[in-house]
Amino acid sequence: MTAPPTGTRVLIVEDEPIIAMTAEDLVEDMGCTVAGSAASLAEALDLARCASFDIAMLDINLNGETSLPVATLLHDAGVPFIFTTGYGSAAPIGGFPGTEILKKPYGALDLTTALARLAARLG
Amino acid sequence: MGERIRKYDWAASPMGARETWPSTLRVTLDLCLNSPFPMAIYWGPDLRLLYNDGWSPIPGKRHPEALGRPAYEVWSDIWPVVGPQFATVMETGCGYATSEQHLPMTRFGRLEESYWDYSFTPIFGKDGRVSGVLNQGHEVTARVKEHERHMLMLSLSDRLRDEDEPDHIVAMAVERLGAHMNVARAGYAEVDLAGGTFDIVANWRRDEGVPDVAGIHPVGAFGADLHQAMLAGAVFGVDDAAEDRRVQGQPVAHRYTRLGVRAGLVVPVLKGGAYAAAIFVHHDAPRYWTTHDERLLTTIAEQIWQERNRARAARALRESERRHRLIFEQANDIVFTAGLDQTITGANPAAGRALGVDANTLVGRSIGEFLSTEQFVRASQMLTNKLLGHGATRYEVAVNTGDGRTLQWEVNSTLATDDAGTPLGLHAIARDVTERHRHEQDQRRLIDELNHRVRNMLAQVQGLAQQTLRGDRPAAVARQAFQNRLGALSAAYDLLTAERWGSTTLAETIATGTRELDIEGARVSRRGPHVELSPKTAVSLVMAFHELATNARDHGALRADGGKVDIVWQVEGDRLSIAWRESGGPPVSAPSRRGFGLRMVERALASDLSARVTLDFSGDGFTCRIDAPLTAGDGSSQ
Repeated sequence: MTAPPTGTRVLIVEDEPIIAMTAEDLVEDMGCTVAGSAASLAEALDLARCASFDIAMLDINLNGETSLPVATLLHDAGVPFIFTTGYGSAAPIGGFPGTEILKKPYGALDLTTALARLAARLG
Repeated sequence: MGERIRKYDWAASPMGARETWPSTLRVTLDLCLNSPFPMAIYWGPDLRLLYNDGWSPIPGKRHPEALGRPAYEVWSDIWPVVGPQFATVMETGCGYATSEQHLPMTRFGRLEESYWDYSFTPIFGKDGRVSGVLNQGHEVTARVKEHERHMLMLSLSDRLRDEDEPDHIVAMAVERLGAHMNVARAGYAEVDLAGGTFDIVANWRRDEGVPDVAGIHPVGAFGADLHQAMLAGAVFGVDDAAEDRRVQGQPVAHRYTRLGVRAGLVVPVLKGGAYAAAIFVHHDAPRYWTTHDERLLTTIAEQIWQERNRARAARALRESERRHRLIFEQANDIVFTAGLDQTITGANPAAGRALGVDANTLVGRSIGEFLSTEQFVRASQMLTNKLLGHGATRYEVAVNTGDGRTLQWEVNSTLATDDAGTPLGLHAIARDVTERHRHEQDQRRLIDELNHRVRNMLAQVQGLAQQTLRGDRPAAVARQAFQNRLGALSAAYDLLTAERWGSTTLAETIATGTRELDIEGARVSRRGPHVELSPKTAVSLVMAFHELATNARDHGALRADGGKVDIVWQVEGDRLSIAWRESGGPPVSAPSRRGFGLRMVERALASDLSARVTLDFSGDGFTCRIDAPLTAGDGSSQ
């Protein structure tokens, strides 16, 4: 299995505590580090600006708000990220070429592969 | 006639032997006998009659006895008319000519109307006085009757043309017929052979004394003979019911007598070879029906039939127009017509309502006034398609109403053409699908949202499974814990469903999260004010309290018989504090590592309530203190 390099720092943006905890465990299980975990748009923007991380996982719907401002910020900063969504094909995203999209519920393999692909682009 | 005249014993008559006749008479007689035209000579003071072959049918049964007889004797029936005419010629020596002279004659035993063109030319004797009269003439009854019929039909046509009531047409026609023929009754009946009846639609009567026979009668009511004649398409005439052998002893004779009818003439109308209607005239005195009468009745009956059908068709058309107009007026769908230049030529009230204007004011305006340029181009393209022979078009178009709304119309439009197929304009039916579109959008959003929630829930279940089943607990214990957590999640959604995904209260949320403890007796108390929670927060809190409850039961105060849990929450200013206090249980100590339960509590409360959570494992029982700000979002209070 292709995995991201050990120690890759991942920022997790997810408003559902159970899903967030699960994502954190998955990230740690594959040898990466959780650089931060945000449950709201405000928190996510704070961490996106201040935290040190290599890759971000963005839940599109954050308790009624979208995480698109975070996506824009990351895109502009050249930080790769994964969208996670329960919206299927109706997800209101676009304008972010090269972004990975993970549909909920996603498994360990899906997440590992997506993170590995983005990590590979980091060089 | 030359033979008869030669053989006649003139010597025994006042005219004397032929040899004694004056030369003027002899010359005139020669002329007369040699002429193929009807000619007669009336000679001498009592106008004794000499005539040629052409003239011989004129007096009817009085030929040949009329030869040599005086005029007043031969023409006793018409002498009041012709007597004075003869006298004038004899006295004045001036010739006399008349045209279409009416002469009621009794030639064949009965009085008949007749009309004549004739002349009286004086024949002078040697003494210069009028000795006789040369008569030339012929009957013109047929021509006169033909003309009369023609005039009657002309005036009838004029009257009937503007009449659209089928029964009025009949009434009008029989009235004219009756008055013209000077009969007691004139009527018209329609026959229903299948039903075995005929309906006298109208019967004009000369006066109140003549009974009314209008209405429905069984066929044969006026006699089997009559009915048979009608079926055969034959005219049925009775000149005198009292004398006619055909009706003697028949029910019709009785019927005629009862109705005061002495003479009747009935003419059938055949349609497609079948007896369809009949026209009739009745008279209360004997009447000699002529072929002219028959022809008149036939003509009028045909006229009635045609005018009646025209009126019925006109009425049916009017009815159909009225129905269509009603549909047009009352349709909920928008209906409009337009010329090929896209100018509106008609619009129904629904069109007016949709556009927020009086429908009548739409006529004369361009369709383009209600469309954006882009949409008008599209509508014009559709018109071009139709003109190119693509038939009807169906498309959706955005319409701008007068009051600034934009509606989505689904338009079905066809080309209206004349009989030759030349396009005249457009007929269009449109339906406002704005609401439907909105509804479809709502539905799509709803389905997206449902999809989102289902996926989210699946992710939550997946997380629960992953969190519960990792680690080194025995499989049976892990399975039970997973089932309990799934049960808590399910109860949380039950709570939301009951509230229709609106807000729930903190009390309900805590009760749902800790519901398993109630089964073991009332060792749990919950107290606190009304605090509202958003659906998402409620789900997280149910899961958190479920973990606290499980801990209390498995590791905390509730393991002992006297153990209990007090859950108290209060609102102070803009802060909410919740205290979970266990007591009466075995001594507690902090666990070596935080399991899913405690992580869940901290995370759920922290992320959904932005709460500060303090876990205390000292003292006589586990305590969890939650301190959260009350914001307008999650955890708002009243």
